[in-house]
Amino acid sequence: MASQLFRLAVRNTTQLPKIFSGKQLLQNCIRTSTTAVHGTSEKCDIPEIKPTSPEQRVTVRKYDAELRERLTDFGRYVAECLPRYVQRVQLTCGDELEILIAPEGILPVIMFLKCHHNAQYTNITDIAGMDVPSRMYRFEIIYNLLSVRYNSRIRVKTYTDELTPVDSICEIFKGANWYEREAWDMYGIFFSNHPDLRRILTDYGFEGHPQRRDFPLSGYVEVRFDDERKRVVAEPVELSQEFRKFDLSNPWEQFPNFRDAPPAAEEIPIPEPKK
Amino acid sequence: MTSKLAKPVVRQVKPLLSLDKEEARKRALNLYKAWYRQIPYIVRDSYLPKSVEQCRAKLREEFEKHRNLTDIRVIDMLVIKGQMELKSCANKWSQSCHIMNFFKESYEQKPKDFLSKFMDGRP
Repeated sequence: MASQLFRLAVRNTTQLPKIFSGKQLLQNCIRTSTTAVHGTSEKCDIPEIKPTSPEQRVTVRKYDAELRERLTDFGRYVAECLPRYVQRVQLTCGDELEILIAPEGILPVIMFLKCHHNAQYTNITDIAGMDVPSRMYRFEIIYNLLSVRYNSRIRVKTYTDELTPVDSICEIFKGANWYEREAWDMYGIFFSNHPDLRRILTDYGFEGHPQRRDFPLSGYVEVRFDDERKRVVAEPVELSQEFRKFDLSNPWEQFPNFRDAPPAAEEIPIPEPKK
Repeated sequence: MTSKLAKPVVRQVKPLLSLDKEEARKRALNLYKAWYRQIPYIVRDSYLPKSVEQCRAKLREEFEKHRNLTDIRVIDMLVIKGQMELKSCANKWSQSCHIMNFFKESYEQKPKDFLSKFMDGRP
């Protein structure tokens, strides 16, 4: 492993400076000077750098092709090891590995990623939720894991709805306790076998789950101190103005430079399991 | 054509806690009993300006609100939330103002007859 890493580092150092090497800078200088003198640049036989190709644009993040290949291989490996649960493997934003699994497989998949020798994702960074009311299973749960050993991150996604319980991963990651409480509080996703599932962000007696898309922006109740009763009271929200919806669509294209940007998520094809 | 008509309407779902109606009913009753027994302590400990009887009437009202539910999973979810609420009351995490919010005393009654609606300025 160490030798492999070393080789990688060496290859990187030999590859990276190509773009900004002194030779090329010199050639660029020559080209500009010739342009200044003759007024044309047709004579130069130096290949033009195309500004539209993804590697050359300065403002767009460059992907490490080798990292992408390694992540693709690892994603395929996970899919081969757990064919029952992994439904889809994809790369988002170029170099972020995502594994989409069935909700029944959350415990085995997380266990595999934590304990397998080639994964060692021993650190849970966050658990996020997502609500898309039009879907059959409206909630998406996103587990972000970090492997310190291999300096790599992975995202595991699964789905559920308001009434379907998901297995809690507190047995595997102690740190998931509060994250799951947060998901319960904000979205109402129920985690079964959680040691202490209760609210974490909202006030006692708060009704509803604020991050759901059907929860109104202003909430249902407002609280104030009542001087007669000498305590804080809650009242239903009354707004003097109706909630307005603005049409923010624009007739012009806003980001023409990103017209041919790579797609947000590229699926990694999973080979068919051998029978 | 028949195969199209004979599509399964019932979806297999994962149970939340209870497997059948009887179990869900027992859970709801147990929760009711637990609240009923806890109410005197809640009233005493958090100095509620309400009597035990009033609180018990409120408890019954809250449970009666959902008496027509038939979905086992919805009942289970309400039982879970009720259990959490009971725990926060029993452990005195909820203060008296939180508990008093159940009574909705500060909620303004909506005007019902014509004259009061007119005085209120609402159509």
